[in-house]
Amino acid sequence: MDTLKENLQTEEFWVNMGPQHPSTHGVLYLEVKLSGETVVDLITHIGYLHRGMEKIAENRTYTQFIPFTDRLDYIAAMGNNLGYVLAVENLMKSVVNDRAKYIRVIIAELQRVASHLVGITTFAQDLGAFATPLFYGFREREKIVELFDEICGNRLTYNYMRIGGLQFDLPKGSDEKIRAIVKYMRPKIDDLESLFSSNVIFTARTKGVGVLTKEKAINYSVTGPNLRASGVKWDLRKDEPYLCYDRFNFDIPTGANGDSWDRYKVRIEEMRQSLRIVEQAIGGLPEGDPTVKIGRIIKPAPGETYMRTEAPRGELGFYIVSDGSTYPYRMKIRSPSFSNLAVLSELAKGIKIADVVCLLGSLDIVMGDIDR
Amino acid sequence: MISYFKEIIIGAWSLVRGLFVTFKNLFSRAVTIQYPTQKLSMTERYRGLADLRVEKCIKCYMCVKICPTGCLSLAHKENAEKKKEFEHFKYNMELCCFCGMCEQVCPTQAIYMNKIYEIAVYDRGKITHIDLLNTEKYGEWAHPTVK
Repeated sequence: MDTLKENLQTEEFWVNMGPQHPSTHGVLYLEVKLSGETVVDLITHIGYLHRGMEKIAENRTYTQFIPFTDRLDYIAAMGNNLGYVLAVENLMKSVVNDRAKYIRVIIAELQRVASHLVGITTFAQDLGAFATPLFYGFREREKIVELFDEICGNRLTYNYMRIGGLQFDLPKGSDEKIRAIVKYMRPKIDDLESLFSSNVIFTARTKGVGVLTKEKAINYSVTGPNLRASGVKWDLRKDEPYLCYDRFNFDIPTGANGDSWDRYKVRIEEMRQSLRIVEQAIGGLPEGDPTVKIGRIIKPAPGETYMRTEAPRGELGFYIVSDGSTYPYRMKIRSPSFSNLAVLSELAKGIKIADVVCLLGSLDIVMGDIDR
Repeated sequence: MISYFKEIIIGAWSLVRGLFVTFKNLFSRAVTIQYPTQKLSMTERYRGLADLRVEKCIKCYMCVKICPTGCLSLAHKENAEKKKEFEHFKYNMELCCFCGMCEQVCPTQAIYMNKIYEIAVYDRGKITHIDLLNTEKYGEWAHPTVK
């Protein structure tokens, strides 16, 4: 056998994956160097969805840029809205009333559930669970999307947050609807979990695949569920509380091994924790008027700020430099998916080509967030 | 040998558990609708195409200034009585990002977003040069019901 191996000449070769590949979650191009079926090297090429958001921001007023933030991470647009608005509010040192804060928390957490539902089910789809779990996930997500449609008038690009408050108050009867969604969602998440966790194929393909160690995760500045799956208990909602997250009881789920399985498990558990937060927030929703008039002329004092929030995919930061005019002088967006994707080439080395898809799905990237 | 049978049993059990979830869903009601024949009604706050109540507009240019994509173009002239008159008010729907900020900023609620969402046309000019002053501009498009 050994002599046979020595005599057989093998050659490493490159395989192009993407940019039009159903498992790359957008337009991502991977160059994979293979030795047989094993990945030797992997190069990611990004930029196919680049729209120059940071440059656009320099030519828009602070209010005008809010709809553009919807187009960053389009699976979780409310999270981006929130991150940007908080950054500008931080720059202006403006105060938001309690009701607006509570509604923002409710909206952000429901968005997290919706985003994780897409993340998990598309991950399962990548592993070959064709269509069925995906549509279950989308059916559940539809409830949240419909609620957002009623609240702010759109299903994907919400443009709901405003600098200093919100565009609209919650419509009448949405308290009940939100409670109903929480009640509806819990057994559905259990269903999804039993569908995946008990499945031997899913288990075999995720356990031990793409192990991201604690040190590597921190070195690559991986954030969000991917970081927590590696065993680092870091969540900005707890560690650097913004809005009114310090008033709610919730746990930070962490994984032990940092493999694809843990990343999936952390997301499932995070959805449950998010529903817990929503339940508490809707129970203690204060009275008041969260709406603000649209800020036509917003002139923050010269200065700079960096505000980071825990978006569904990780730490979303907006660094804004103001020169005292109505336009930002410079804006840098620290998007979570970008750092999460950066670790891919490191993790992919040594695994099988089929597991690259599994790895990519478990990292849960959105190309709009990466290319900006 | 034991582990071989164990694996088979675990595999079969996982299949049963998975099928149980799908079985539960088999008898649940369908959530989809038959689109071209059945149509959903739009929510009250739904943002469709920009529309104008011509008589209410005071030509203050707020909507033109707030628009993030610059899809509205307005021009006016003053008549003999020094009153503002429209020269044109065009709407390029191709550029519109449906953010609804024009509606919010309007002091007289003249510009608003209607509920039209079926906006496919054969002639591209029909969506790039929509004349907001024309009251019949959306006449041929389907107007959905509102919840």
